[in-house]
Amino acid sequence: MIQRILTIVLSLGLLFSLILFASKFGSARLPGNQQGYEPVQPIAYSHRLHAGELKMDCLYCHSGAMRSRHAGIPSGNICLNCHTQVKATFGEVRQEDELAAKENRKPRQVTSAELSKLYQGMGLNPQSEIKPEAVTKSISWTRIHNLPDFVYFDHRAHVSVGVACQTCHGPVESMERMRQFSTLSMGWCVNCHRESNLKGIQGRQVNASIDCATCHY
Amino acid sequence: MNDPHQVHWRSLDEFADPQLAERRGESEFEDTPLRHAEAPGRRDFLRATGFVLAGSAITGCSRAPVRTATPLPTQPEDYWPGRSDQYATICTACSASCGVLAKVRDGRPVKLEGNPDHPLSRGGLCAVGQASILSLYDSHRLGQPHVSGKPSSWEEADRAILTALESIRKQKGAVRILTGTVTSPSLQERIRAFAATFDNARHIVFDPLSSSAILDAHEALFGARVLPRMRFEKAPVVAAFDADFLGTWISPAEFTRGYREARLENGKPSAQAWHTQFESHLSLTGGGAEERVRLAPGQLAHALAALVARLASRAGARSPAVTSPAGALPDKQLDELAARLWNARGRSLVVCGLADVKAQKLCAYANHLLGNYGATLDLERPSLQRQGSDRAMSGLLQEISAGQLGALFVHGLNPAAELPLDKTALEAMCRIPLLVSLSSRTDETAELARFVCPDADPLESWGDAEPVSGTVCIQQPVFRQVGHSRPAMESFAAWSGKPATARDLVRTHWRDSIHPRHGGGLPFEEFWRASLQTGAMEVKPQSRAATALRQEAVEALPAPSAEGMTAVLYAKTGILDGRHAYNPWLQELPDPISKAAWDNYACVSPAKAASLGLADGDLIKITAAGHSIEIPVLIQAGQHDDAVSIALGYGRRESQRFSNPGPKWMYAKPTTGADGLVGVNASCLLRWTPETLAYHRGVQIEKTGRNRELAVTQTHHSLTMPPKLDPGGPPRPIVQETSLVQLSAPAEHKSEAHPELWPRDHQYTGHRWAMAIDLDACSGCSACVVSCQIENNVPVAGRDEVIRNREMHWLRIDRYYSGTPENPRVAHQPMMCQHCEHAPCETVCPVLATVHSSEGLNQQIYNRCVGTRYCANNCPYKVRRFNWFDYPHEDRLVNLVLNPDVTVRSRGVMEKCSFCVQRIQEAKIEAKRLGKPMADGDVAPACQQSCPAQAIVFGDLNDPKSRVSQWAAQARGYRVLEEINVRPSVYYLKVIRRDGEANGGGHHG
Repeated sequence: MIQRILTIVLSLGLLFSLILFASKFGSARLPGNQQGYEPVQPIAYSHRLHAGELKMDCLYCHSGAMRSRHAGIPSGNICLNCHTQVKATFGEVRQEDELAAKENRKPRQVTSAELSKLYQGMGLNPQSEIKPEAVTKSISWTRIHNLPDFVYFDHRAHVSVGVACQTCHGPVESMERMRQFSTLSMGWCVNCHRESNLKGIQGRQVNASIDCATCHY
Repeated sequence: MNDPHQVHWRSLDEFADPQLAERRGESEFEDTPLRHAEAPGRRDFLRATGFVLAGSAITGCSRAPVRTATPLPTQPEDYWPGRSDQYATICTACSASCGVLAKVRDGRPVKLEGNPDHPLSRGGLCAVGQASILSLYDSHRLGQPHVSGKPSSWEEADRAILTALESIRKQKGAVRILTGTVTSPSLQERIRAFAATFDNARHIVFDPLSSSAILDAHEALFGARVLPRMRFEKAPVVAAFDADFLGTWISPAEFTRGYREARLENGKPSAQAWHTQFESHLSLTGGGAEERVRLAPGQLAHALAALVARLASRAGARSPAVTSPAGALPDKQLDELAARLWNARGRSLVVCGLADVKAQKLCAYANHLLGNYGATLDLERPSLQRQGSDRAMSGLLQEISAGQLGALFVHGLNPAAELPLDKTALEAMCRIPLLVSLSSRTDETAELARFVCPDADPLESWGDAEPVSGTVCIQQPVFRQVGHSRPAMESFAAWSGKPATARDLVRTHWRDSIHPRHGGGLPFEEFWRASLQTGAMEVKPQSRAATALRQEAVEALPAPSAEGMTAVLYAKTGILDGRHAYNPWLQELPDPISKAAWDNYACVSPAKAASLGLADGDLIKITAAGHSIEIPVLIQAGQHDDAVSIALGYGRRESQRFSNPGPKWMYAKPTTGADGLVGVNASCLLRWTPETLAYHRGVQIEKTGRNRELAVTQTHHSLTMPPKLDPGGPPRPIVQETSLVQLSAPAEHKSEAHPELWPRDHQYTGHRWAMAIDLDACSGCSACVVSCQIENNVPVAGRDEVIRNREMHWLRIDRYYSGTPENPRVAHQPMMCQHCEHAPCETVCPVLATVHSSEGLNQQIYNRCVGTRYCANNCPYKVRRFNWFDYPHEDRLVNLVLNPDVTVRSRGVMEKCSFCVQRIQEAKIEAKRLGKPMADGDVAPACQQSCPAQAIVFGDLNDPKSRVSQWAAQARGYRVLEEINVRPSVYYLKVIRRDGEANGGGHHG
């Protein structure tokens, strides 16, 4: 009798937990798959604005992709190539201009809140002049694309044969905040290597190795 | 097989019992206590199941940890995170000052490699040089000055030292600066300037591994205290007396390269090359010599005198009397050698490592008779790699014991451990009013010193070197300083009252003194930049007034006295004088001959051991004049019966840290001995003679009845055929030898059809990576072993694990003896994964963690491996290593030395040589980036890059012009265990026996 009750209780419990988990099954993913990861960054940088609207080349900032395994996050001095001139959004500047006209004064220098974090890190004052005593401080961005320690990916190999950045990183030019587009799983990598060997990249024949030691060593 | 002496053997017991070697081949893994543990019970099973379930649930649900990426505020031009750069600098691991390229990745050096543009080492770097990178990341290194044992600041220490110096200056007290050989001209200049501020100050130079006798002999003969630069590359005929010039003597990497070059003629083995070694202890150099003459330590100098007499009679010159009794020496061998040397006048070398000025004079005279001065011995551009004077050191010790010193500064030396100092001498040292040690670690001398002012590591500070007069090199920092140590140069400048940075000091000295010696008309800035870029520049040598040889200064030796047992204190490959005793890579490196790691030991000949009733590991007490040490015995083939040899450099304070370097598990035993140190310090057996510190001394030996097991790897990883598989079969030809006669004979048809187990279905349409190793060139120096360990993040297992057969080295050097135990010939065979085309490991892996690549690599995929170890059991070459444990990686500073391009393996994973696939990938991708095809030599695995003998080539077998294809096709080429037809990718070139005694290559059986 006790045995029977126990069986019933256990199977009910099992059923209950199955129902509980069933709703989650649709979004089940393999361990380590971080697809869709979209962390908040220390500076609200917009890829949509820079890469989409302004049509800047990805490699202008991520120039490491041509030379090194890491595409790299641009150092502050790359940002300053433009942002010594551009210090606020067009809207903010116009608002100040209107306000100044209303108050009948000269418009003041406007610096956006996000950009002032950059200037602070680079040791610049709001007039973007270098303060001699200033200490530069790097900005720690949150990494989005993480691979396990036993995987060695190299940007050089892909960029130099003409793989478009969007193939792996997705429509970055439409992302306000950067997010992980692909699964970055091994199957996803190998599929692309296989397909590229058949179809070629940009009409050219390529030799994308599917040996294990291409990435694992 | 009938004559057991015609085959190779690895240990004395295998020589005595030929079947033993094969029985050893049966079990790869030694017995482990885990095997006797009880089977897991029900509760254990449930526990494990629960753990696995919970674990998988947790890993499945969690998000990965947040990782940040921090770019530089301003990235310098031509610097890319993730890309490595190489900087030319100098190796300061010993005073040979070889050139190195420091590979710097993301701001930190991860590997030191030989600099091919350096005129001395020419791309070679020895094991010690390779391993010295660890010094930078040593968390035990002192990061600030210490005063009376307490951490202090530089201001405080300098103030106290300057006050003390001021009072010494007023009292006209004696100031002595004691250093090892200083090859740095800038530091020498600083010490000179510092000494000049006192009335009674002297710079005393001493080398723990001294060549003082050579310098003294040249002073007596030529009027200048110089060490001639030995040009082994110009000397196909070499006679060496107790000089281990390929292993540990003066400048081994430079000498190995030269020796190898002289033995080739237009790239082919030269028929004239000949090397006779006279020694009492089997050294790396002696093992490979054409002829090795085993003599008692006391006879070595007399053999040299007898050789001089023979040469003098051929030259019709005066000869000092031969004082040894007739018949005591190997007259026939000496006659033949004299003839060979005489025929190679001006193309030969006689070298002598004895600490005996009379013997060194005879050696110099022999070279003079042979016309070698100016040809193979360079006095115009002499070597500055050894400048020490034993007499000056002994004078200093007298001053110390007489209490005459006001101040003693010690730099680059550890006299308290390196010299035979008794208690009263040490106490006298403590009584010196101002004792300052510039040691970077708390060594024995630093413990006595009131002030410890740590020198900076050479990889984090500026410096320079002039190893050979006229060859100057710059040492440039490649890392931001760890802690607040200070370069010795800056310390001496500060104490002279003229503080300056090391960079300014070096630049000033180069501008004022070195650049003017460069005749090229290059402006200084360009000269400086060129020196930084190439690593070395040639300038005019410092002028030295060497006169013609004064024959009358050559003296006869005193008649030999009857000697009993003599202790021979020698330098062991990797450990040298013990200054790198903190380095676990070097401690775990097996000696190239004895194959013992982690301890020093007393080598005793088999006959002597039998007569004393000694077995391997028996502790013996060695006594000389009241001093005694207890040390385990190692029965060593080739040892003279009257010699017991002991390595110096052990029993050091810095080895305290190795109480347990390996895994922490319940059966682990400490690596250190009862006193908490690795090995025994034998320096108390050194003996002062009137002229030198002698490395030979008569001793008494006593058995203690106790025992300490030695971690000897010589019988590990056997390649022999287990007898049950092939009863009575022929021996396996593992290491093969040939003679010049056989080589000149028309090539016999090599292709012997072996049965194929698998279809040959690998296409290799692109590259086909392969390696070739010239066994004749390999000296066994083990630079490759350490290089591989560093490049591939191979863990240090510790003594106990080595005893259990679990050393982790991916590349080992198998040492085989042939001939008799009294005087064996040695062959070295570097053995690593052979990357077989039909790899037996691949077929047995149940999870496909080891598979063949399209370019001929046998890939080991760590993340797929589940640790069945089937592959290791099925490997005929025994090159796979299993991670029985997670090896400690807690020290965050030491972790910086890990190669970021290679995975750090975890417990339960098999690993092995990958042909440095990370370097292959890097070279392939870089070629792709630059849009050009790969050239031969673009890929250099770590072992090849560092090899001082250039014995390894690597490349594409599909390219018929590649060096590896050409080597593989040579008549000497063969592959190990060809008969089992697993088609390995590593080709070996047979050892050449020029004395015509080539062994067929069978291993015992």
